[in-house]
Amino acid sequence: MKRTYLGEFEEMVLLMVAILDQEAYGVTVNQALEEHTGRIVAFGTVHNTLIRLEEKGFVNSKLGGATAERGGRRKRLFQVTALGSRTLQEMHELRQDLWQMVPPHTLRLSRL
Amino acid sequence: MKMNDTRPPRWAQWLLRQLHPEDTLEEVEGDLEELYDYWFQRNGKTLAVLRYLFSVISVLPPFVRKRKNEKDYYTPSNLHPDMIRNYFKIAWRNLLKNKGYASINILGLSIGMAVCLLIMLFVQHELSFDQYHTNAGKIYRANMEIKFGNNHIDLVVVNPNFGETAKNDIAAVEDFVRLRWSDGFLIKKGNENIRENRIAFADNSLFSIFSFPFLDGNPQTALTEPNTIVINESIARKYFNSTQAVGKTLIINDTQHRRVSGVIKDIPENTHFQFRMFIPMFEDGGSKEKIWAGSQNYNTYILAREGVSAAHLNTELSRMLDKNLDSNLQKVLGKSLSQFKAQGDFFHVSLTPLADIHLYSNKTGELDGNGNLQYVYVFSAIALFILVIACINFMNLATARMSGRAKEVGLRKSMGSLRSSLIMQFLSESMLTTVFSMVLAVSLALLALPVFNELTDKQIQVAFLAHPAVVIALITLTFIVGLLAGAYPAFYFSGFQPVKVLKGTLENSFKKSMLRNGLVVFQFSASIVLIVGTIVVYQQMDYIRGKDIGYSREQMLVINNTNQLGDQVQSFKNQLLTVPGVRNVTVTGFLPTNYYRNNNSFFPTQALDTKDAVSMQKWEVDENYINTMNMKIVAGRNFDKTMGTDSNAMIINEAAAKFMGQKNVLNKVFYNIRDEETKTLNGYRIVGVVKDFNFSSLRDEVKPLAMIYRKNNAGISVRLQSSDLPALIGQIGDKWKLFSPGLPFEYSFMDDDFNTLYKGEEKVGNIFTVFTLLALFIGCMGLFGLATFMAEQRTKEIGIRKVLGASVMGITSLLSINFVKLVFVAILIACPLAYYFMDKWLAGFAYRIHIEWWVFVVAGALALVITILTVSWQAIKAALMNPVRSLRSE
Repeated sequence: MKRTYLGEFEEMVLLMVAILDQEAYGVTVNQALEEHTGRIVAFGTVHNTLIRLEEKGFVNSKLGGATAERGGRRKRLFQVTALGSRTLQEMHELRQDLWQMVPPHTLRLSRL
Repeated sequence: MKMNDTRPPRWAQWLLRQLHPEDTLEEVEGDLEELYDYWFQRNGKTLAVLRYLFSVISVLPPFVRKRKNEKDYYTPSNLHPDMIRNYFKIAWRNLLKNKGYASINILGLSIGMAVCLLIMLFVQHELSFDQYHTNAGKIYRANMEIKFGNNHIDLVVVNPNFGETAKNDIAAVEDFVRLRWSDGFLIKKGNENIRENRIAFADNSLFSIFSFPFLDGNPQTALTEPNTIVINESIARKYFNSTQAVGKTLIINDTQHRRVSGVIKDIPENTHFQFRMFIPMFEDGGSKEKIWAGSQNYNTYILAREGVSAAHLNTELSRMLDKNLDSNLQKVLGKSLSQFKAQGDFFHVSLTPLADIHLYSNKTGELDGNGNLQYVYVFSAIALFILVIACINFMNLATARMSGRAKEVGLRKSMGSLRSSLIMQFLSESMLTTVFSMVLAVSLALLALPVFNELTDKQIQVAFLAHPAVVIALITLTFIVGLLAGAYPAFYFSGFQPVKVLKGTLENSFKKSMLRNGLVVFQFSASIVLIVGTIVVYQQMDYIRGKDIGYSREQMLVINNTNQLGDQVQSFKNQLLTVPGVRNVTVTGFLPTNYYRNNNSFFPTQALDTKDAVSMQKWEVDENYINTMNMKIVAGRNFDKTMGTDSNAMIINEAAAKFMGQKNVLNKVFYNIRDEETKTLNGYRIVGVVKDFNFSSLRDEVKPLAMIYRKNNAGISVRLQSSDLPALIGQIGDKWKLFSPGLPFEYSFMDDDFNTLYKGEEKVGNIFTVFTLLALFIGCMGLFGLATFMAEQRTKEIGIRKVLGASVMGITSLLSINFVKLVFVAILIACPLAYYFMDKWLAGFAYRIHIEWWVFVVAGALALVITILTVSWQAIKAALMNPVRSLRSE
């Protein structure tokens, strides 16, 4: 179980980068989070998280080409790395395994 | 919708640009603008602006996370062991490559540091005085300042019963001890009598108040019985060959027996008194008297109780003094204390903490010559100067080699070296140099320590260097010097831009090096100040030696212990007069060059009104005194053997006559108290006035003095006239043996005695000279190095100039002129400074020279000549070089 710790919000952002495929950068990640999870987050939070994920090696980034719509400023596009995708998969599997172990009635009871 | 509205607020954008980390600014600015557009479309302007502002704040420090530099290559830490090893390897290679440069640096620095080290030892030693006593913080010495009439004296001695009264009456006083110098005496060893000095009367409490460990005997009772003596270890070894001497007997002055009651360790050198033997205080006749005004003769130390403040103790002692003075003054002068005070007269008591005595106290009656805080400061300043001069050498030579090293820096930077690691490299180079210098400095200091001890008249031990505090100081000093000397080159070099360096555009800035010129000017200013100082000190010393002191001290033999001869002194004197070569003989202990003094008050009327009292020396002399000393009578006459009335005659000096303020003092009678208790008076009629002669340090004015016609057998002074002094002294010695077979013939020459009075000043003069020479030497080494590099720098220029027909002379002056200019600037700065400092020093002398203009000319010329000699050596070498060789080298 040796694995770099991945926080809940980090996991969300990593998933968003995965969902957005080649189009993940600050704006889209921010919008996707808002759209898919209903969370309104400060831009700085997303920015910092992306930098942290990159430092941990889950994503990598490169500067895109100049675009007309934002005053010619380049975007930093993010991509999930092999380590990132493996970590996501492992987490997914682990959760599924754990779900399997949950006795059906406990969840029903707790829902009451 | 205006175009402006679709853009986020400008000031927020400006804020973002100012504060957001540079490397992520572009993408974040773009992202935020895109989001603003999106929010603007969805929620309208107000909300969009709000969210925009909120987002901007979220990406400003301290909230924003900084993107770490992307590294395409591995950069080791500057402090990685491999890096450190590399720094030192390169530093070592650089030192080896430039042996001349390295040796100039190391030699200069090590001399500077050795001087610093010695001065540190000196200062530490001065500051350590009397600190070692267990009770050091609780011991105070009582001082007495007295003013009556025109007399004002500041004493470190008090009346005999001061301490005891304090102990009995004041709760804050735990104990006291009195000390008083005793005459030296002869101690018998085998058949020989040896003179021993440095003996004191002391109370037994000496050993419980001060910390003088006993090697033998009981400290509780050592000085409680009559005819006992406490001796130190050296004396015990000298006379008994053992430290276990208690119970044994010393034969004093050939007759008296004293039982050794204790052997103490030698009193450490850092004690403000250096006695070798102590005898019981109660054997001193005056010690049992109960007087307050009149007999201030006892150095009294008070041991305060734990937690008592000096201020409190002082108040209590003043109250005690006032109470007792009142009744005493009534008895002696018939006046109450308040009447006494109403005339403006007073007795003040003050306290000096034990540890402050050596450096801060310089009053009348000190037990030994104390140190001088001023000299501690002056020496420290000079040592620091020399160290700074050596550091400047280092910096200057380093910057002079800049063009050579610049290429290295440029190349290293192109290869990816970081600025920080270049700084580390240069610093480790300077550190390595300083470490070498320190090792050399310690050995130099060890070698120079005996000379230094001689120079400063101290006995600092070699072992002192191993003291933990000194070792720590050494390491710190090395570190600080390394940083100081290395910091400027390190930070300056490492800032070079590789492109500029490799293109070679640095040469221009090199010539304009204001800093280096400034440093050279500083070095030379310091040197010139020292040169001026040396000349002035020597001039002053010369002035003192050559000054008309009112008597002649050449060819004057002084025989000291004639007291031993008793009544035979006169016949010994007559025998001496028969020796050819002896011109005159006078019998008295009072000489201008010794410490035998007797201060007395003289009153113009029998009413003893203190207002008109004159405080004078009262010297007992014979009728030959004035002639033997070659003193001059300016009015009246000398004592006359044939006139019986001369037993009540006195001869005063000019200072006394001036003090009395009367035009004609001849035949005036002055009264002197013979006995305090019975108030008997002696009246003396003035029969003559003698020309002022100096009988204390030339720092002070001549004080009033009176001679009376009395027998005093304490010494004999013999005026000689002979070209063969040793033979003459041999003859005088033979006469001595006729009279006193068992006693040593002890003599001195008056001019030697005179010179010892000025040992202090001479010491300063010598130290000044040594420091000046060292400072000049180090400065010149630096200059030599600079000139070498300058000449190297301009090799091509010189070659071309020679090809075009420049003369050797022309090139030499071309290379030297810059340095000469700097020395001139240094002279301008140094002269006023030197004048200020030396004038202040001279102000301490009553008889002083005035600094003359030529001193500055000489100092300046000396600095100039040395500079030209140093620089032109290199300049001429460069000028004589064959241009073919210098021009071919590319």
